[in-house]
Amino acid sequence: MSKNQHDRAHHAKKASGVGDPQCFRGEAGQAKFKNGDMVRIRDLPDIFYTRCQVYTRGAVGRITKVVYESPAAEDEAWDNTDHPEWFYSVVFRQHELWPDYPASYKNDTLETEFSERWLEQA
Amino acid sequence: MSDTHKAAPMVDEVSDFEILEMAVRELAIEKGLFSAEDHRRWIEYVHTLGPLPAARLAAKAWLDPDFKKLAVADGVKASLAVGIDWINGPPTKFGTPSDYCSFRVLEDTPKVKHVVVCTLCSCYPRTILGQSPEWYRTPNYRRRLVRWPRQVLAEFGLQLAADVEIRVVDSNQKTRYMVLPLRPIGTEGWSEQQLTEIVTRDCLIGVAMPQPGVTSNAKRPVHPAVHPIHAGH
Amino acid sequence: MPSPSRSALMRHFDLVGQLQPAYHQPQHAPYPDAIDHAKYRALLRSSHDVGGEPDVPIEWEEKEEEQWEANTFATCECLAWRGVWSAEERRRRQNVDVGETQYLALPYYGRWLLSAARIIVDKQYVTLTELVNKIDEVKGRYEQKSAR
Repeated sequence: MSKNQHDRAHHAKKASGVGDPQCFRGEAGQAKFKNGDMVRIRDLPDIFYTRCQVYTRGAVGRITKVVYESPAAEDEAWDNTDHPEWFYSVVFRQHELWPDYPASYKNDTLETEFSERWLEQA
Repeated sequence: MSDTHKAAPMVDEVSDFEILEMAVRELAIEKGLFSAEDHRRWIEYVHTLGPLPAARLAAKAWLDPDFKKLAVADGVKASLAVGIDWINGPPTKFGTPSDYCSFRVLEDTPKVKHVVVCTLCSCYPRTILGQSPEWYRTPNYRRRLVRWPRQVLAEFGLQLAADVEIRVVDSNQKTRYMVLPLRPIGTEGWSEQQLTEIVTRDCLIGVAMPQPGVTSNAKRPVHPAVHPIHAGH
Repeated sequence: MPSPSRSALMRHFDLVGQLQPAYHQPQHAPYPDAIDHAKYRALLRSSHDVGGEPDVPIEWEEKEEEQWEANTFATCECLAWRGVWSAEERRRRQNVDVGETQYLALPYYGRWLLSAARIIVDKQYVTLTELVNKIDEVKGRYEQKSAR
């Protein structure tokens, strides 16, 4: 079996002076969602690795910011960087995330980021 | 050091971790994966990092409403004003590998209080805030803050009115966050330097609020190192 | 009989908290039909995904950094700087691939270090033989020192 060839210089060449995730600008195409959209978090199969927290699955939130383009963590974790996606910041109401969240704290929220594959229109 | 901490072991005992660390670093250098100079440079770079630039950014935002707007709209650009270049500052010239170049400043208001966690690991804006505290990295903090934020904040000494929106921000991807806390009363006419001094690391994470006269984090037990970082590093 | 000191009592509470009932499965490597969807999901969970799990209040502590921890951090960042891995590959390996037991039972920087050791072997920059020999050699230096 031969040794794999790894291009160790690739990322530095691409991102030098530009930054990461800035180096992926323009690679994700058209963003599917925009600020203010209500989205539901998809419960895609959870195998080997994900950065989409289980506590968000099936919950509905509001997009507050379209943040950047980047390979999804699930791909970047294996150095598969050819298909960047748009990333979004989404806000949830705590009482919708947790059934036992105290009713007296009715305004509490939680905000976290998702790559586009994890979102569907609510 | 409290009774619950173990007695200090003999000073010349070397741990399995220390042995492995040397082995990995020496092999990596032997094989040309990085140079000894690279490693030294990174250690030195980390030594330059701490919460002061982020504290200054908060003070500047308090004093200048236009700067505050910039900080909230473009944290990376605003960081330049306090001497932090997220992209070109680190030796890589493309940001630090772990903390990237997507930085957001979370503006607290009388109605909204932010607090930051990384439930998946311990992502932290090292580039402008320095290394994360031990408690921030614990599974305990990461488990509980997202679901019981008021209980956890109470343990840190913070209690907020029931109608305040506590927004927990879970930094699970490439963005790194700092909290821009509320400017406390009793600081009218203060200089940027005076304001900077009361914005502690804990305020920038969101587990404390700035107070006149409080210029350091709350006292907590400190678990000592067996072989702490060499003097001069 | 002298009364116990307060600190001995606190140690007693810590120890008592570690006595937990547990129903262990008597059969390792169970038959497939013993694993329903819920168990499958639990077994395949990403160990790092802990948000929302119950836990108890603890005393929040700071920690003095070890020299080896600072060195490990620099090693991991240099490996990424020079393209051996990305930080995301590191996180996947360090926070999930290690598995549930190592995740919870190893020190935080212990996982960083083991993942750095693993990546240079996995990507064939170093053979496991070379790593084992190097560890042995480094160990030998310290055994020689204490033998003096």
